Amino acid sequence: MFSHNRRKLLQTSGALLAAGAMSSPLRAQTAAPRVVVIGGGFAGATLAKYVRLWNPKIQVTLIEPNPSHVSCILSNLVMTGALGMTDITIRYDTLRTKYGVSIVADRAVAIDPVNRRVSTLNGSQIAYDKLVLAPGIDFDAIPGLDSSVLPHAWQAGPQTLALKAQLQAVPAGGTFVMSIPQAPYRCPPGPYERACLIADSLLRNRRAGKVIVLDANPDVVAEAHTFHTAFSTTYAGVIEYRPGTEVLSVDWASKKITTNWDTIQADAANIIPRQKAGKLVVAAGLLGSAPGARWAPVNPLSYESTLVPNVHVIGDSQGTGQPKSGHMANAQAKVCADALVRYFAGEAPDPAPMTNSACYSPITSKTASWLTVVFGYDAASGLMKPVPNTLAEAPAPTRGHYEDMFGWAKNLFADSFS
Amino acid sequence: MKAHPKHLGRLAALALLLATAAAHGAPPAGRLLASQCAQCHGTNGQAVAGMEKLAGESESEIYGELIKMKANIKPDEIMHRQAAGYSDAQIRLMARYFATGGRTTATSSTGSSTTPSTRPTRRKSHDD
Ligand SMILES: Cc1cc2nc3c(=O)[nH]c(=O)nc-3n(C[C@H](O)[C@H](O)[C@H](O)COP(=O)(O)OP(=O)(O)OC[C@H]3O[C@@H](n4cnc5c(N)ncnc54)[C@H](O)[C@@H]3O)c2cc1C
Repeated sequence: MFSHNRRKLLQTSGALLAAGAMSSPLRAQTAAPRVVVIGGGFAGATLAKYVRLWNPKIQVTLIEPNPSHVSCILSNLVMTGALGMTDITIRYDTLRTKYGVSIVADRAVAIDPVNRRVSTLNGSQIAYDKLVLAPGIDFDAIPGLDSSVLPHAWQAGPQTLALKAQLQAVPAGGTFVMSIPQAPYRCPPGPYERACLIADSLLRNRRAGKVIVLDANPDVVAEAHTFHTAFSTTYAGVIEYRPGTEVLSVDWASKKITTNWDTIQADAANIIPRQKAGKLVVAAGLLGSAPGARWAPVNPLSYESTLVPNVHVIGDSQGTGQPKSGHMANAQAKVCADALVRYFAGEAPDPAPMTNSACYSPITSKTASWLTVVFGYDAASGLMKPVPNTLAEAPAPTRGHYEDMFGWAKNLFADSFS
Repeated sequence: MKAHPKHLGRLAALALLLATAAAHGAPPAGRLLASQCAQCHGTNGQAVAGMEKLAGESESEIYGELIKMKANIKPDEIMHRQAAGYSDAQIRLMARYFATGGRTTATSSTGSSTTPSTRPTRRKSHDD
């Protein structure tokens, strides 16, 4: 590590900035390239695994405070009781034992892109040649809303169990209010899937009153056919869908939710606030100065920030416009991993990367639908674009899709974490 | 830029870094493309459960199946939509990668998505 004085000296020397795009000067003796990854979700875990899989000479350090990852994928089935927390909890052990990823159980608090170091909550300084940020999402504040009391459950873990408790607390004939934030947010079909499962759960327990769905968007954001059909047939009389409705404030002491239209009295609720890139991405200045920027602009060939060299952003925090899904986070991580492996070999990134997403959504306790898309790099615009004919939803939810969902999830979990 | 001694030091360090990693340089053709199947079909095509395992299938089998899928997209088949995302040449690269267990010829970054030399052979797949 740097001594303090030496660092000061380097910081004040203009030469350092000039050489900012090059490697740290103190690396001559220990030559293994160092990749540091912040956040071990679907994006970060996949990145750590694949860099080691594809080039075990690269040192990979994963900074993640939690001992295991609790997956949002399938978490709505924990809410209903169909699955338990253990079914969505994935340990990091295999990344270490099978792939040799160093895991630092700590929280990253700051990045120094000039000296290429990350500082952590416990006071460590971790040096990198390439840094990958994969911290997921952060939420906007809503006046009066305390998510530790009224869960968003848009990050899985204790929030998932708090939502389950909300659902169980609905009295017979009571009102459950759910809100959907303005897009883009994590998992486009996710909130609609949740609304269906809340209604299904209440119906099966003979407690169905009303599930009021407040959608800040003008219409259903994903799988419009599937969810409109479910809302107006399967859940007719239970789900009341209100598009163009945004939650402005919450007074949970009196269980009142105020929107741009009116104030609603609820018995239980799930308010999902608007989202943006993880805190660290924002703090590191990776959003740039454009007003209203929420996601980090990156080059989709490598996911390197367009603003800060040698810092890459993958998963929900990045701003290429690809859907924010775990499947897609895994896909981006591989493009980034390949680019890093090539970088350390003195090569340019693959000029034509492809990514894809496939999501299964349970619609009832026995059926599911799916949503899929393939993205390809468009050299003319420099953007990832959906390939024609690949964006589609299942024509109807089926039992077969429900079964496939578990095969898909098992493979996605394994490909990302083990 | 004038070569300042400090810069030379950095350049030397970078050169060393690159040399170390160069042994694992240009990835085998189709590796990145094929890795995009792994979310469902397992790392290196070794599915863990409930999905078709691609490792060990022949090149013509995988190629033939995917070409057939994208030629006749059935709305209820998620995999047909996936197949529709790739050019014939990309499908060839992925099929060859899985069939050879990743032992395809290394490509530089400009070569990974070019058309492979072998002519596509259309064969009946086990899907027929
Ligand atoms: C209800 C629901 C259902 C969903 N269903 C699907 C689905 O069917 N299919 C699908 O593909 N996707 C689905 N998703 C979306 C999916 O969960 C996300 O897109 C995915 O988790 C994004 O991965 P990520 O790695 O970017 O972020 P995350 O998975 O959130 O991981 C971020 C990680 O970073 C860590 N971290 C954050 N800050 C720091 C820091 N400062 N230092 C160190 N570590 C840090 C966190 O602890 C966390 O482990 C669903 C989401 C929800 C909410």
